[in-house]
Amino acid sequence: MLEAARTPGLNIYTYSEVEDVSGFVGNFKVKIRKNARYVNNECNGCGSCFDVCPAYGYDEFNEGMNPRKAIYLSFAQAVPSMAQIDMNRCIKCGLCQNVCEVNAIEFDQEDEVLELEVGSIIVATGWDEYEPKTGYLGYNKYPNVITQMKLERMLAPNGPTMGHLVRPSDGKTPKKYLFIQCVGSRDLNKQTYCSAGVCCMISIKNTKLIKQHYPDADITVAYMDIRAAGKDYEEYFTASRKEGVKYVRTNVSKIHEDPETGNLKVILQNTLSSTGIKEFEYDLVVLSCAMVPAIGVEKIGNILKLETSRDGFFKEFHSRLNPIDTKIPGIVLAGVAQGPKSISESISQGRAAASSLARLMGKDKYRILLIRATVDKEKCAKCGLCELNCPYDAISLKVDGAEVNEILCRGCGSCLANCPSEAITLRYYREPQYEKQIDAILEEI
Amino acid sequence: MAGTIRAQYPATIRPIRINCTGRVTPSLMMRAIGKGADGVIVAG
Repeated sequence: MLEAARTPGLNIYTYSEVEDVSGFVGNFKVKIRKNARYVNNECNGCGSCFDVCPAYGYDEFNEGMNPRKAIYLSFAQAVPSMAQIDMNRCIKCGLCQNVCEVNAIEFDQEDEVLELEVGSIIVATGWDEYEPKTGYLGYNKYPNVITQMKLERMLAPNGPTMGHLVRPSDGKTPKKYLFIQCVGSRDLNKQTYCSAGVCCMISIKNTKLIKQHYPDADITVAYMDIRAAGKDYEEYFTASRKEGVKYVRTNVSKIHEDPETGNLKVILQNTLSSTGIKEFEYDLVVLSCAMVPAIGVEKIGNILKLETSRDGFFKEFHSRLNPIDTKIPGIVLAGVAQGPKSISESISQGRAAASSLARLMGKDKYRILLIRATVDKEKCAKCGLCELNCPYDAISLKVDGAEVNEILCRGCGSCLANCPSEAITLRYYREPQYEKQIDAILEEI
Repeated sequence: MAGTIRAQYPATIRPIRINCTGRVTPSLMMRAIGKGADGVIVAG
């Protein structure tokens, strides 16, 4: 990200939101709201304000597991390396202003709205971890049931525990671990899809990491199917098993806590053996949750008028033949915005998205089909019904009648079906053509 | 659609391909009924 930030001609707006998009391929107008950081561009990220700030919030980057100050850097490698103030936590004491050597703190800063003209748009909104309902498999009910993301942050050397694994209930290092796969995925009542084997591979990776830190750790992975499809993935899975990690094919039926020790008693049945339903005790349970579309993705979808698939991810042009483009020319998808996928697949799709747009933008001309609506302005009564009914915002009412933008128009014909004065025709799909078809069909009966 | 899922439908149903259901005007439907069709299904 740092390298990208240093690339000339590449502008990155972090802590910003897309508010509105208008126009069409080659001529999009995008409105971006840069949220106020309450810190101006003079900030060099030295961090002396963090030390003096007396107000605390939860560190969102570390899944809320450790406190941070009200003035903070969103995470260590943030781009740009600039502090920001959480106004819900700030008490406006002004101590940060006193210590800041470059006078970067501005309490009265306001959101800035930028208007950009762009030729094409890549949607790469990513994903969020599925959050189970409170009580499901003990989540949010027992402190020692955590999600994969929390474990991930704990294992990170710059995380809240500096890479040491501790139990949330008593701070002790756990000995017996249970990973539960497919939480919220491959479930007819939740997400029906498989998150493309990503949660399987994350679990396998984390079992290996835990084994590296604590060789005597006793790790069990409760899985439905391990989906290690990909280059070197199966070998990675085999390596984890060779290190002594136990893989049990099961559906976990119930988890309850031993109130004295905080340990978790898990009832499960190994479906590949005849041992029956048994109860096991674990120190820490990690839920491997599904990948779901990023929070707030509906807003972007509405702004760009993108369709979503049944699973909530953005719909591609064709799921097998063209998973990169969308149905709107000039807007393409990259990464998990289109559907769950791993890092390497996301990189492939990102590059494919870039080249798809480069091919489009590299030409001087843009070809359209001739199936477009045309308006007979003499007949147009300027009622504006077509403008209201166009799903693509392609038709607009001008002083002398309705006008069709031939690039935005997709030739659906909703405008002409609604036109009371029959002023609109659709090339190749004219009214008399249909009338003749109807007449011919009904004649033979 | 019925063809691609190998579904059977009566031979008296006559499909007319349109590019979008939004294109169907009331006058087309009324014309079909006026010419003797028992009903019109707009499907998409």
